[in-house]
Amino acid sequence: MLGSFIIGEEMNVLSLQDKAITHLVSFFRKEWSGALLAILILSIAIEMVTSGKPFFHPTNIMTILNNSAAIGVVAGGMTLVILAAGIDLSVGAVMGMVAAVTGYIASYWGLPPGIAIFCGLALGGLIGAIHGSLIAYLGMPAFIVTLAGLSVWRGSAHLSTGAQATPKLPATFDLFGRYNPFAGLREQFQAGELSGLMESLGGFVDANWMGFFRTFQMSMIIFIVFFILLAVVVSNMRLGRYIYAIGSNEQGSRQAGINTRLYTLYTYVLCSMGAAFGALLFLGRAPYAKSDYGQMWELNAIAAVVIGGTSLFGGRGTVIGTFMGVVLIKLINNGLTLAQLETFWQMVVTGLIILVAVGIDIVRQSKSAVKVQQMLGVVAIVLALFAALTPLSALISSLISLHEHNSMVAMQQAGANMVSYHYVRLLDEVGVLNLHTIISGTWMISLALLALVAGAVVTVVKLHKTLSFAMGGIFVVSALALIASDMAAAAPLLILGAFAMAGLPTVPYMFERARALDSANG
Amino acid sequence: MMSMKMNKLIGAIAASALLSGAVYAESIGYITKSATNSGWMMINQGAADAAKEAGVDLITVGPTFQGDLSSQLEVFENLLAQGIKAIAIAPVDSSGIAPAVKDAMDAGVAVVAIDTGVNGAAVTSFVATDNYAVAKVQGAYAATLVNDGDAIVYVTGNQAQSTGQERRNGFTEAFKTARPNSEILEVPTEWNSAQAQEGVEAILNARNDIKMVANAWDGGTMGAKAAMENLGLSAGDVLLVGFDGATDAVEAMEAGWVHADTAQMLYQMGYQGIKAAVDASNGKTVSARIDTGFFLVTPTTAQAYKDLVGIK
Repeated sequence: MLGSFIIGEEMNVLSLQDKAITHLVSFFRKEWSGALLAILILSIAIEMVTSGKPFFHPTNIMTILNNSAAIGVVAGGMTLVILAAGIDLSVGAVMGMVAAVTGYIASYWGLPPGIAIFCGLALGGLIGAIHGSLIAYLGMPAFIVTLAGLSVWRGSAHLSTGAQATPKLPATFDLFGRYNPFAGLREQFQAGELSGLMESLGGFVDANWMGFFRTFQMSMIIFIVFFILLAVVVSNMRLGRYIYAIGSNEQGSRQAGINTRLYTLYTYVLCSMGAAFGALLFLGRAPYAKSDYGQMWELNAIAAVVIGGTSLFGGRGTVIGTFMGVVLIKLINNGLTLAQLETFWQMVVTGLIILVAVGIDIVRQSKSAVKVQQMLGVVAIVLALFAALTPLSALISSLISLHEHNSMVAMQQAGANMVSYHYVRLLDEVGVLNLHTIISGTWMISLALLALVAGAVVTVVKLHKTLSFAMGGIFVVSALALIASDMAAAAPLLILGAFAMAGLPTVPYMFERARALDSANG
Repeated sequence: MMSMKMNKLIGAIAASALLSGAVYAESIGYITKSATNSGWMMINQGAADAAKEAGVDLITVGPTFQGDLSSQLEVFENLLAQGIKAIAIAPVDSSGIAPAVKDAMDAGVAVVAIDTGVNGAAVTSFVATDNYAVAKVQGAYAATLVNDGDAIVYVTGNQAQSTGQERRNGFTEAFKTARPNSEILEVPTEWNSAQAQEGVEAILNARNDIKMVANAWDGGTMGAKAAMENLGLSAGDVLLVGFDGATDAVEAMEAGWVHADTAQMLYQMGYQGIKAAVDASNGKTVSARIDTGFFLVTPTTAQAYKDLVGIK
C-alpha cells in the first residue's frame, strides 16, 4: 500500500510516491471511477469464490458484453435525457413495442427484414418526437409524460401483436446479435476451402474457437462502437455541449441563445431511438419477438446511468460512466450465477453493490479527507461484518429455531388451535440437540467478531491514528484466529479490512500532498 | 379471441370505474396472473370457454405486470365491493392474497384458486396441477436422460411463490434420488425468459461439462434454447427439458432441441376453475381440490399431445 512510501526520504522514492498520488487523484476526478472500482472489486471477489470456473476468461467477459449490448444502448440514450435534466420512464415499453412490431412485420407480414428494421427505428423516433414535443413545447413534466408512455406503449404493443410470440425471425436479425464474424472463416477452414495466409488465419481461429472466438459476436462489437460514437458526439459536438448546458442551467442556456426546446426534443427522440435500437440488439439474441420484452428496463437503464456517476439533476456525467454502469449490472448477474449464490442472497448483494458504487461517487465528490477516511472505515466494518456472517447467521438462525420450537410447545400445552403448517416449526429431540451443538460452537467466535465490528465503528468515529493502526493489528490477529478455527474462507476479508484500517491515517497526508502538488503545478 | 378481448375491456372498466352499485351478481370475477404469457393465454382461453358454456359474464382482469401483488389485491377488493358471487383467482403471491381471500370467504363469496394455491386461508376449491408431483415426474424422467455424475443446470421460477418452490423442490428431489452424484447448477429467475437466457449462456460458456438444462417453465426452455444458439451449439448438444407443454417448446422438441416436457393441462385448468366457480355460486358443492393432471411429452408422445390439446 501507499502508506509504506511515507517513510522514504530520498528524492526518487518521494517522486514515485507523488506520482502515485497524482494518478490516484486524477483517477478519482473521473465520474466513472466509482463504477470502475466496484467492477474491479466485484470481479476479484467473484474470481476468489468461483474456483475453477473461469470468471476472468475472455469468453466470459465477452458473454457479459454480449448480454450488456441491448440494455446498454437503451441506457446510452437515457444518459442524454438525464444529462439534460430530464427522465424517460418509457424506454422499456418502447423497446418492447419496437421488438414486437419489428418481429411481427418481418415474420407475419413477410416483408424484407430491412423494411421491418426501418419501421422499428422510425417508430422509435416517432414515439420520441411525441414525448419530446409534449415535454419541450407543451411544458408537461417529463416524469408524467413518459410514465404515461410506459403504459400506453406497452398496451399498444400487446394490442397490435395480440401479445403472441412470433415465429423464429429471419437470419438478418442475427447481424444485430449472435452473428459471429469469424464463423464463416472457421467453416471454410474446416471444409478445407482456404489456402495460404487465409488458411493459417482460419486455423488460428479454429484452434482458439472455444477459448476466444466463440463469443466474439456482433452484440459486443455494436455495443462498444455505439458507445465510442456516442462519447464522441457528446464531448465534441454542439449537441453534446448544449445538452450539458441545458442540464446545468436551462434558463441561462436559453438566454445564451440556445434553442433549448428543440434540443430537449432531440434528447427524447434520441432516447426512444436508442430504445428501438436496443430492441433490435435484443432480437438478435432472443428466441422470438414478443411484446412483453423489456419489462423493468427503465429502472435498470436509469440505475446504470446513475451508477456511472451521472447526476439525476442533469449537467454532470459521462457516457463512459453509463457503459461502466451497464457492465457492472450485467457483471453482477453473471458473477452471482457462476458463483451459484442463493437466489435471495443475490438480490441483497445486488443492492449492496449498487450502494457501494454510488457511495464511492458521493465520497469522491465531497473532496474531503475525513469523508474518505470514513468511507475506508465503513469498508472495514462491512468486511468484518461479512466475516462475522458465517458463524453469526448459524448462531442466530439456531437461536430463532429453538425459540420457535419452544413457543410452539408452549402454545400446544396451552391448547391453542393450530393449522398444519405451524407444526413445521416443531422439532424432534435430535433437532433440538443439533441446535444446541451449533449454538455452543459458534457463540464465542460470533461475539469476538462482533466486538471487532464494534472496535471498527469506534475507530471510524474517533479517526485516531494509533487506534487505527492498533485495529489493523487486531484485524490480522482475528484473521489468524479464523484460520485456526476452521473458517479460513473468511480470513481474506479481515486481511483486506486490516489494510483499510491501517490505511486510514495516510489519507489526510495524501490529500495534503495532492494539494501541494496541485499548487506547485498550477 | 374477440370475446376475450371484450371481456378484458369490461374487466378494465370494472376495475377502474367501481362506483356504481351491485351490477355483477350474475358475473364471475376472474383475476389472471398474466395476459401475455403463452401458457396463461391457454388457461385464459379455457376460462373464457367455460363461462360462455355456462352463460355467465366473465369479468377478466390481469395485473399491469406479472407478479404485481398490490394491483391484484386492489382488483380483488373492488370485485368484492361490487357484490360479486364468485371469484376465480391465480394469486401472484400465495400468502399475500390470503387476508383478502379470508374476508371474501367470510362474506360468503366463493373463491376458486387457479394454478397457484393460497397459503394461510381456506378456499372453496383449488384447481391446479399438483406442481410438486409433476415436477417429480420431470426430475425422474430427466435423470434417465443423463448419467450419474453429469452436471446439469436447473432454471428456477420465482422462489417467493409456491409454484416456483414446488417445481424446484420436486425436480431436485427426484433427480437427486436417481442421480446422487450429479451437480445441479441453478439459474434463478422471476419467470423471465431473458434472465434464463443470460444465466444459461453464462454457465454453458464457463463450463463445457453441462449435459442438460431443465426448466421450471417453458419460457425458460426457450431462453435456454436461445442461449445455446447464441453459443453456436446445435440441437442435442445440451439436452433441454421443459415444463408446461407450451406450443413453441413442443415445436422445438420436434426440431430436436427439447427432449422431455411435462405438460400441464393448461386449458383444463382455466376451464375447470371457472366451472367450479360457477357451480359454487349456484350453491352446488364442489371438490376442494381439483387436480387437472399432466402429460409427459417426449419425442414419441409429442404427436398424441398435440392432437389432445389441439396444436396444429
